[in-house]
Amino acid sequence: MTWAKRDPLRVLTVCGVGMGSSLILKMTAEKALAELGVPARVEHGDLGSARGAGADVILAQGLHTTELTGTAPVVVPVTNFLDVAGLKETLSQRFREQGWLT
Amino acid sequence: MEFLRQLLTWIANNLFNQVAILIGLIVLVGTAIQRKRFEDVFAAAIRATLGVLILFIGIDVFVGGLLSFQTIVGSAFNLKPPQATKTLADFLGTYGSAIALIITIGFLIHVILVRVLPFLRYVYLTGHLMFWISVIVAAVLVEAFPRIGTTSLVLWGSVIVAVYWCLQPWYIARAMRRVIGSDDWGYGHTSSAACWLAATFGGAVGSKEKHDTEKLKMPARLSFFKDVNVSTAVIIGVIMLLAAAFADKTLLAEQAKKFSATVDPWVWAVIVGLRFAAGIAILLFGVRMFLAEIVPAFKGISDKLIPGSRPALDVPTVFPFAPTAVMVGFLASTVTFLILMLIFGAAGWFTLVPPMIMLFFPGGGAGVFGNAFGGWRGAALGGVINGLFLAIGQATVWGMLANTAPELATLGDPDWYILVWVIKLITAPFAGS
Repeated sequence: MTWAKRDPLRVLTVCGVGMGSSLILKMTAEKALAELGVPARVEHGDLGSARGAGADVILAQGLHTTELTGTAPVVVPVTNFLDVAGLKETLSQRFREQGWLT
Repeated sequence: MEFLRQLLTWIANNLFNQVAILIGLIVLVGTAIQRKRFEDVFAAAIRATLGVLILFIGIDVFVGGLLSFQTIVGSAFNLKPPQATKTLADFLGTYGSAIALIITIGFLIHVILVRVLPFLRYVYLTGHLMFWISVIVAAVLVEAFPRIGTTSLVLWGSVIVAVYWCLQPWYIARAMRRVIGSDDWGYGHTSSAACWLAATFGGAVGSKEKHDTEKLKMPARLSFFKDVNVSTAVIIGVIMLLAAAFADKTLLAEQAKKFSATVDPWVWAVIVGLRFAAGIAILLFGVRMFLAEIVPAFKGISDKLIPGSRPALDVPTVFPFAPTAVMVGFLASTVTFLILMLIFGAAGWFTLVPPMIMLFFPGGGAGVFGNAFGGWRGAALGGVINGLFLAIGQATVWGMLANTAPELATLGDPDWYILVWVIKLITAPFAGS
């Protein structure tokens, strides 16, 4: 697998207020992306800031992903905020769909 | 010797007593021991320092909105707004550094306790609540012992918060396993009392199998309430408009004039709601900024010191297990609170301010715990319990913190109030010295 996207990936993790669980999810995402070998910059924030963020990937729990559809090319609902392996699998599949990972 | 004394005094006054700089230094040390590159360490310290300054600006805006709200809603009920001699901004200005030390030393004591007593197993990583719990514990200690020295305050404060961070995820662990179906992480949130009660009594009012919330369909239009900035602005704004209709018109005009000489009082009422929400958003942004640097450092420390420990995480980590229960708990909390707001106002007890964030997150959490044991009925019970906690807590704790940081009463979760009540009760025989 090689990374086909030119710029590093902009990833945003989102929770209601952007303080607690999104920060934990950011650490999980950083680990998963590093294991995938994807160059990325991960930030965390609240629902409001997600809209104008211009991220490539948004990670949030299912409660929020319905509202966030369309704010980024890849929006992934997350159930387990610590599950690096699961996130890795979902992300690599979604990246391949986008043609970012070939 | 004289030079040394002067130097130490200078350091104390300019580095340790300036909370923004102290937090910056703590982050500097925390990131440096993780052997990050110099420019990363430096940037992290600057971000954390800016975060603290932004927090202060947010508090100013929020407290301004809060005072207007209490004045107008109080007047509608023919009540004086709640009285206080000090404000949260004063308190953080004076004791902010002690609080920064309480978080840091408290976390280290907490990690050592979990390391020594393996049955505790959960490391508390909900950073913003570590901050707020330290603030509220410091405030109630200063209320009880106004002449307390910084060293005693830091010492007692860190021990109390460390014990709380150990016990809270531990006592709710059994219910938590039922909620998330595993033991991958613990529950680290100051709504634990409401969640525990919802889990304990949820089974008495309903059953998970028969009344599961996730079989219900909630109206999709309610979903805008999930954005707490929006729901705060809307609820506070609507109540301001209603209250303005009943409030003393001279007072209303006076208050509006203070904001702008030309603004219509009705428009001003709406602006108060918006400013209140904006203040909270700024305040939270500041907290987020310095936490983003501190929490990963804390996680690094605990991963290194206690391999195999589990993190205790913020309430939204349970939301995916029953999203509808979140809405049921939130709505039940809000309705309960608004009813109590009317009752407390009409009875002349207290002018309550609806804390939308605390109605949403703890209400939603209690809903999820309640649902795991008693279906939607348990979820609704959890919401009602949270609403009761928030109303009674705000009305009682405001006065208990009137000489330190009364506004904390409007930002509190159930466990905050319990901590204040318990510390007040225990220290009562010794207080004042």
